[in-house]
Amino acid sequence: MPEFQFIGKPTDRVDALEKVLGTAKYIDDYSLPGMLVAHTLRSNLPHARILRVDVSAALKIPGVVAVITCEDFMDHGRFGYPIADMFMLAYQRVRYVGDGIASIAAENKAALQLGLDAIQVELEELPGVFNPLTALNASTTIVSEQPWDAPEYPRGNLLTHYVVRKNDPQNELARCPVTLEEDYSTMHQEHAYLETEGALAVPWPGSSGVTVYASCQSPFINRGNLVRTLGLGEDNIRVIQPQVGGAFGGKDDLMYQISGQVAKLALLTDRPVKMILSREESLIASYKRDSMQMHVQLGADANGKLRASQIHATVDSGAYASITPFTAWRSSIHAMGPYRYDACHVDTDVVYTNNGYSGAFRGFGNTEVCFAIEQAMDELALMVKRDPIDLRLQNCLRPGDTTPHGQLLGDDVSLAECLEQVRKLSDWKRKHAAYTRQAAEPLTPGEFRRGIGVAAVFHGMSLGAEGVDFAVGTLTVNSDYTLTLTSGLTDYGTGSRTAFTLIAAETLGLNPQRFNMPRPDTDLSHDSGPTVASRATVLGGNATHVTAQRLASLLNKSAADLLGCREDEIVRHGELYIGPKEEPATFELVVEHAHKIGLTLTSRGRWSSPEIHWSMETGQGKPYFAYHFGAQVAEVLVDTGTGKVDVTGFWAVHNTGTVIFPQGACGQLYGGIAQGLGYALMERVDYDNGYIQATNFDEYLIPTALDVPDIVGAFVEKPFAAGPFGAKNLGEPGVVPTAPAILNAITNATGRRIRSLPASLERVLLGKDLRKEGSSTACKLGLN
Amino acid sequence: MERFGYIRAASVSEAVALLNEPGLKSRALAGSTDIILQFRHDPHYCDRLVDISLIPELRRIEQRGGWVHIGAAATFSDVMSNPSVIASAMVLAQACRAVGAVQIRNMGTLGGNVANAAACADSLPALICLDTVANILTPAGGQALPVSQLVTGPNRTVLPPGGLLVSFSYPVPDSGSRSAFLKLGRRNAMAISRLTVAAMGRLDEHGRVAEARLVTGSATPHIERLIVVEQALTGQQPCAELYQHAANLAVDEMIRLSGFRWSSEYKVPALTAMTARVFAQVFEVGEA
Repeated sequence: MPEFQFIGKPTDRVDALEKVLGTAKYIDDYSLPGMLVAHTLRSNLPHARILRVDVSAALKIPGVVAVITCEDFMDHGRFGYPIADMFMLAYQRVRYVGDGIASIAAENKAALQLGLDAIQVELEELPGVFNPLTALNASTTIVSEQPWDAPEYPRGNLLTHYVVRKNDPQNELARCPVTLEEDYSTMHQEHAYLETEGALAVPWPGSSGVTVYASCQSPFINRGNLVRTLGLGEDNIRVIQPQVGGAFGGKDDLMYQISGQVAKLALLTDRPVKMILSREESLIASYKRDSMQMHVQLGADANGKLRASQIHATVDSGAYASITPFTAWRSSIHAMGPYRYDACHVDTDVVYTNNGYSGAFRGFGNTEVCFAIEQAMDELALMVKRDPIDLRLQNCLRPGDTTPHGQLLGDDVSLAECLEQVRKLSDWKRKHAAYTRQAAEPLTPGEFRRGIGVAAVFHGMSLGAEGVDFAVGTLTVNSDYTLTLTSGLTDYGTGSRTAFTLIAAETLGLNPQRFNMPRPDTDLSHDSGPTVASRATVLGGNATHVTAQRLASLLNKSAADLLGCREDEIVRHGELYIGPKEEPATFELVVEHAHKIGLTLTSRGRWSSPEIHWSMETGQGKPYFAYHFGAQVAEVLVDTGTGKVDVTGFWAVHNTGTVIFPQGACGQLYGGIAQGLGYALMERVDYDNGYIQATNFDEYLIPTALDVPDIVGAFVEKPFAAGPFGAKNLGEPGVVPTAPAILNAITNATGRRIRSLPASLERVLLGKDLRKEGSSTACKLGLN
Repeated sequence: MERFGYIRAASVSEAVALLNEPGLKSRALAGSTDIILQFRHDPHYCDRLVDISLIPELRRIEQRGGWVHIGAAATFSDVMSNPSVIASAMVLAQACRAVGAVQIRNMGTLGGNVANAAACADSLPALICLDTVANILTPAGGQALPVSQLVTGPNRTVLPPGGLLVSFSYPVPDSGSRSAFLKLGRRNAMAISRLTVAAMGRLDEHGRVAEARLVTGSATPHIERLIVVEQALTGQQPCAELYQHAANLAVDEMIRLSGFRWSSEYKVPALTAMTARVFAQVFEVGEA
């Protein structure tokens, strides 16, 4: 591997100091003279027709300055991609508990509360759809209405349907000596970002335009929605992303609504308007990871060689489409796992219900299907009496293989290496043999038992066939010899600004300290699509690389002219430019000379992903330009007396290609695993008749530092040809295989298989869930 | 959150006077970890908080004449690290260590935990296991009440209005006594107890059980010593079968006292395991 100056070396995050000192500004830290506070009145019914919204009494309350509804927006504030079924505030109907109806701006919180109480809303309750499995029945209420301009809009509650098709698995299954048929189900998951949603809108003089500071992921999409719904031009709206306290995929749609509401209120009142959600409001109103019900059939030879898979999945999109059409598409592509089959069918139904709504969440549809297929693989290993890692090695995709989608894989595929490495690191052979022996012995009452489990992952890079995939960067040399770097892809805590800085520094041969990256801003950077799908390092990194190469070429021309030599004669030593006469020129001299000879030291670069294609009809194609691979092993200690599970060890090996920013990479890996551990064992979003039950972190449990073991992470750094300096993505894959690895370990310890999430105390001890009957009270309280 | 008044009391008598000042609904403030939640649920919870956290005698922990006295405003961190408590009542030290997380243990107080009287309060089973008496001061004078009588049910106490919990006193257990506390939560910190068990015991010179005590938490509406279980153990040779027998009796008591609830199907086997385990810890010297 080539030796790098900066890449792969430990370094400080570019925003570490301000965060440690507490000077980093988040939305709630902003306060401006004359600023109004805003709040949204939200539905306390899961499904109802809006008969009347009367804001006149609220407007008479002293201190209430403005009240808006959907009528204050163009086309009632309709937005959404790929399906425009949401509104800035509910239009005609509310479709989930927490749907916004009206929004108030007031001088202070007391007036705000009085104003909220004074809004008169008349709702006619409609039957709700809460069970995704019956959502498609003919007699079920229809959740979504077809917009006038969308003739291909959903049929009934079926939002969309996806297929993957390779040969005929039923035919193949009939001839397989070993077959498995099981159901698996996952639950919604809350993103649980530390910072709740919030936005501040600052109107321009005479309300000619508006700047919105928004805790969101994708400022350009935010601006696009504002353009569409406020009726202003692109030049009249600026969206700035301040420090964001975590997103994990969760700061899209609801943040777009909040941005729209504060922007409209600011334009109406000609005053700054800020809205911050309480944790309760955030938990109730925000979208979640979707829940999925999966039916899996696998067929194999007696020795474990996989031959066929047939998978049917139902995805609960909830009240709105949000980005679920894309997460479910990713689910379909990844449902069969990173394995070879002679035949494979996947069918995914995405349905509307009145259970909150689902959207983007780290892992993006793959987390759910990985939970199913990686447990099914373990079940198969037991049936054919093979070691679970051996079975995966026997069947896993390798360089030059063709996936069930018909995609020929390149030489970057490294799943076998990941599995082999994680096996060594975790001392798998010894532990698995010992725990398997122990599990066969009868339990003494209250015994503690250990188990170990593995799961593999493949994760398509970036957007895939979801959309146009590109990123743009810019670089400018400033008069003080610093450089300003921008990217249209944002850093909401992921560390991508540090990765981009290292890539630019490496490309230019300049110290990272010379660079600064302003907060993402639609006025200062270029649209690069959404910051999702683990695309920043590869897409944004490549764009940065291209941009930096262009600037490097200008600097080299200046240096050659200054040193009186050819460009290819220049040697770099640190930041110095050295010509044939071995007289070094500093970066400063080269910059000054460039100005003297009239060169403009700015550059802009764009990088587009390699070509991909997917046929929704044939279920075949090249869905992603490449894949990330990884394998994780969990070791657990199960209290067989109480069902309490402690994860006592964790090993993860991921095929990241070149690691750009080592601490950032480890942080993404550890964070993903911690989130996956919560998903596996404790996190639960229960919608009872549409009412979410846990509305704060006393009841919505996420892991603490005492629940997460030491994690041993390692990277297979086989350079990836299309990545910046050989890097692959890592933001999401860390979370994907964690839950199945833990559940496989529980089965190894207890002999009992849990096929539904989470593996709660009750499920581990009794094999079934136990719950108190739900109520709507907590949820309603949280909306005040 | 509504606005409310705040005043700091310098002494116990001043605190009682302030709590009983006519025309104001006052509440004692010690650690604030429960009060802050009360205000979120009920903005009119009280008009004024009387801060008792800086009254020195309310934080004192001392052993005097066969009793350990713990000031009501002693924090969980104070209690769990106190040498007298550790030497005499591991059950209480362990219960305090099981509360929340470091930050909450540094703020929250024993008196607050008892006065709030949540069914899942971690200190309650330990205090009741130790036969702890609560010392209460009202304008009419002092009174002492066993904690098991002070706390009558979930979030219910007979603390008189305007009364201040001043301290807790438990008799130092007989020499040779051992005690232990086990907590079951859905995660390893910041967890609301699903079940807790507090046990104490002592063996006689023949190695038989001279005394046994058991209290469960999050299992019954009223937290009390399970005398039936204790009696069944007394005089017996400690062994796994005996602990299992005690566990079965404890479960019977739980069902008798709380009825069969949605959670019972789970709590029956879980309490069985925990009871057997806690007695094994108490009686099997040399094991953890």
